[in-house]
Amino acid sequence: MSEKSPALIAKENIWVNNPVMVQILGICSALAVTNTLSNTLIMTLGVVFVTGFTNLTVSLMKNLIPRRVRMIIQTLLIAFYVIIVDILLRAFLPEVSRSLGPYVGLIITNCIIMGRAEAFAQSNGALISFWDGITSGVGYMLVLMTVAAVRELMGFGTLMGITIMPQGYMAWTIMLTPPSAFFILGIIIWMAKSFMMKGEKAK
Amino acid sequence: MKKDGIVYTVIFTFIVSFVFVGILAGVNSVTAEQTARNQKLAFQRAVLNALHIKYKDNQEIFDLYQRDIKKSSRSTGNVVLYEYTNENEIFYIKEFSGQALWGTVTGVLVVDQEVDRIVGLDIISHNETPGLGGRIDEAWYKNQFDGELLSPEGKISVGPGGSGDTDHQNHKVDGITGASRTSSLMGIMINAQLDIFKSMLKGGSK
Repeated sequence: MSEKSPALIAKENIWVNNPVMVQILGICSALAVTNTLSNTLIMTLGVVFVTGFTNLTVSLMKNLIPRRVRMIIQTLLIAFYVIIVDILLRAFLPEVSRSLGPYVGLIITNCIIMGRAEAFAQSNGALISFWDGITSGVGYMLVLMTVAAVRELMGFGTLMGITIMPQGYMAWTIMLTPPSAFFILGIIIWMAKSFMMKGEKAK
Repeated sequence: MKKDGIVYTVIFTFIVSFVFVGILAGVNSVTAEQTARNQKLAFQRAVLNALHIKYKDNQEIFDLYQRDIKKSSRSTGNVVLYEYTNENEIFYIKEFSGQALWGTVTGVLVVDQEVDRIVGLDIISHNETPGLGGRIDEAWYKNQFDGELLSPEGKISVGPGGSGDTDHQNHKVDGITGASRTSSLMGIMINAQLDIFKSMLKGGSK
């Protein structure tokens, strides 16, 4: 069983050991789905949900899962929750489902989910694993939302669809294409890392 | 039974797959009706949009569609056309889908009875990049097709990127800046649909 307190887990997953900024996981979707805030929010909420419940389920089943098929079982559980999200969106939020297109399905390939299932849920209790999944998802969400805010503001001149930039603002087309996320993510990682290192030096 | 033995592993994997896939099938069939209703509504809304018929809410979309849109007698086994009659003029409606840059675009195209003009266009779904190719779903892009006169060959052409071509007599529409592939593929898709319309509506009568 883990010795870590829930507060420490949250701090690690959201900041010190953030899945995107420190572990550099989930980069594919960080590049592809971050050009509008609303799409990013819904996709990352999907990831939070899937990571949380996959961790919970893996943890509950961990004593039953034979070692040699555990990764297949984890993938099956991830796919299960992602398809649930997809079906529910299609039935109850068709507009959202339409604008996310294939990205919901791509949550299955998000390495963060499997990473947490394998690294944490396999060896920890159910509730704390659930919490670990949720906070990892939130850590991912916060970084992606930051990237999306920059991209939407410069690419469309809007935030959450509300016009922010003055009239006559020339939108930056590059911000709408995935390469811009590379630059923005790089800058965010650089800033966060220098901030973290400063903190370490002060200690 | 040994937990890492082959028998346990096979049985365990089988049961887990069976249970979770079973739940998925259950959720899917519970929501299937709602999903089908959404899809039908999306199509009906697109038809009304392409015909420029105003509506207030989903119920009105359903009512207007039921009242005014009929399946056309010109439909063939493979291609379904719908028609809408307004002041003795018949408009022909067709759902289309085709390949754009990243995925399939589906939409609705309406032409007049001589297939001389496009009446309107609406997009039901697409997977193009938001802000670039995704702008095919924006009003300025779709409005270019409203009442657009076709060339003598019955085609439209796609010009360079712009902010929308307001001249509806020049059988030309503007592409989208930064999305020339999507724009030209949309042009090809629509011209292919116009060919189908022509072969179905003009073939017999001339």
